[in-house]
Amino acid sequence: MENKRIERIDRGIKVRTEGIYSIVSMREMMYIAGPRIIFLGILFLLPLILEAAPYWKRVMNIMFIYSLLAISFDFLANYTGLVCLGGAFFIGIGGYATAILNSVLHIPVLLSIPLAAIIGAVVCTLLLLPCLQLRGVYFAIITLMFPLLFTRVIEATNILGGTNGITGLESIPGHFTENYYIMIVALIALFGLRRFVNLDAGLVMRGVKDNEQSIRASGINVTWMKTQAVFISSLIGCFGGAYLAHLYVWAGLSLFALDFSIIPIAAVAIGGGGTIFGAIAGSFILVPLSEFLRFFGSFRIVLYCIILTAFIVFKSEGIMTYITRKYHQFERWVDV
Amino acid sequence: MLEAVNLMVFYENMLALNNITINCSKGKITGVFGSNSAGKSTLMHTLSGIMLDIKKKEEMIGGEKISIFGEIIYEGNEISMLKPHERARAGIVLCPERRRIFPESTVLENLKIGSYLTTKKEKEQNLDYVFNIFPHLKAHANRQGGFLSGGEQQMLAIGRALMANPKLLMLDEPLLGLSPLYQKIVVNAVKEIKETRGLTIVITEQYARPVIPIIDYGYIIENGSSVLEGTGDQLMDNPDVKSAYFGV
Repeated sequence: MENKRIERIDRGIKVRTEGIYSIVSMREMMYIAGPRIIFLGILFLLPLILEAAPYWKRVMNIMFIYSLLAISFDFLANYTGLVCLGGAFFIGIGGYATAILNSVLHIPVLLSIPLAAIIGAVVCTLLLLPCLQLRGVYFAIITLMFPLLFTRVIEATNILGGTNGITGLESIPGHFTENYYIMIVALIALFGLRRFVNLDAGLVMRGVKDNEQSIRASGINVTWMKTQAVFISSLIGCFGGAYLAHLYVWAGLSLFALDFSIIPIAAVAIGGGGTIFGAIAGSFILVPLSEFLRFFGSFRIVLYCIILTAFIVFKSEGIMTYITRKYHQFERWVDV
Repeated sequence: MLEAVNLMVFYENMLALNNITINCSKGKITGVFGSNSAGKSTLMHTLSGIMLDIKKKEEMIGGEKISIFGEIIYEGNEISMLKPHERARAGIVLCPERRRIFPESTVLENLKIGSYLTTKKEKEQNLDYVFNIFPHLKAHANRQGGFLSGGEQQMLAIGRALMANPKLLMLDEPLLGLSPLYQKIVVNAVKEIKETRGLTIVITEQYARPVIPIIDYGYIIENGSSVLEGTGDQLMDNPDVKSAYFGV
């Protein structure tokens, strides 16, 4: 009858691999390393496979830029409690920084991108510093306002090339450099942050999200922790922006487009918040999807919205959370 | 009036309630006693239907799997699938643990929120009734709920539950964190509510001593299962209970 329930228990191998014993056999090691190796393997082969379709190689680069933004959003929102809609802000600042470095100061492209990321991150952090006291939706609105503000300022004062933007940026030499450069940075951001959130500093940041007052009561400067978190995520975001500017060989007002703020959030919602990996998975689904939907012309926004809504309604835990659970646990019917 | 038969609740694989059968007769006060983690709050949440809501939320975020079994019979109807708001309409009103008042609304507003389901006339009657039982609240009627003391907040929470015109009032740990004086006030108020309005009341508490004089029937639960039941005196006479719940 109905006196049965689904029992969910950890797989034996999951329990065995939790401690130091995970290195006793090949099978246990593969259980931990396997998914990561497969993921990395596919990623590294992807540019070679897509050699046949150069257009999709370009889509792949865009995909990684959105991944970076989604990672930085996920880190700020789910580990520090700052809901930041400033993706466009990071992209814009990073893009303009590299434009100045490269086309005015003539710093070579491979160096100017990371340099622009650091300069951009400092600028973003300084600008966001007064707003760090705000929480929740107020911080989100402020970060959403910044790109709009910059667009208007550039339009009105005609600085930084005005509406024409800054042209004449160097493009990144070689297709494979272009692909692997952003891929490796995205992977460093992914695995670095996954490690970082379990360090002491990361734990404190998660504490800031849960209960700011008790962190303050422990004698930790909350604003300083938030500053660090904003710096890290704007560093990641600005890198994406700087790379994008070199991809287009142009830095202009479209770098402040709202897409860069919205799509990463959708990616995190689909991939599963708080996993960081989910951010990458989400943008790997969303960006190619929006390319496919190009066939439908302007109708594609409708389809895009339907797919997003369906995901949020039916699988709001996110893909990564779901897959991780299926990987580690199994279900069976048992008598009550 | 309310009868729960073989109630079982699982949090993931942990058994939170194990075959609990309790019976609350009309117009009586039923006490449920147990230590922390005995399952008192789970029982209250299950009876009031909030557990269904928690279950759904956990499913949405992919968290713990909650399974509920057993029957809840209220006035002859099986209600275990009814949603919390439908149960509240039917007259089962929970006064939650830790009070959960609306801290930024005034006392009067808090009480009015509670009377959402009633008619205007009933609302005025109930308001008079609540102010009559808890004169403290009348003195602070325009103060924000968050600025009341713990005891006053508890009175406010009970008052808010009464505003919904309950037939069955469930009080989850109403004496939590109250001084002995306030405990006495609250316990006397509960007794008065029962006598003047003839409500059926379920009351849970960790420390049984202040509550035991007013209850008509009591259950003691440990680790999710009901280990002992009886009238207040029967519970008092049991030596194990004495040492565990009365500190004698």
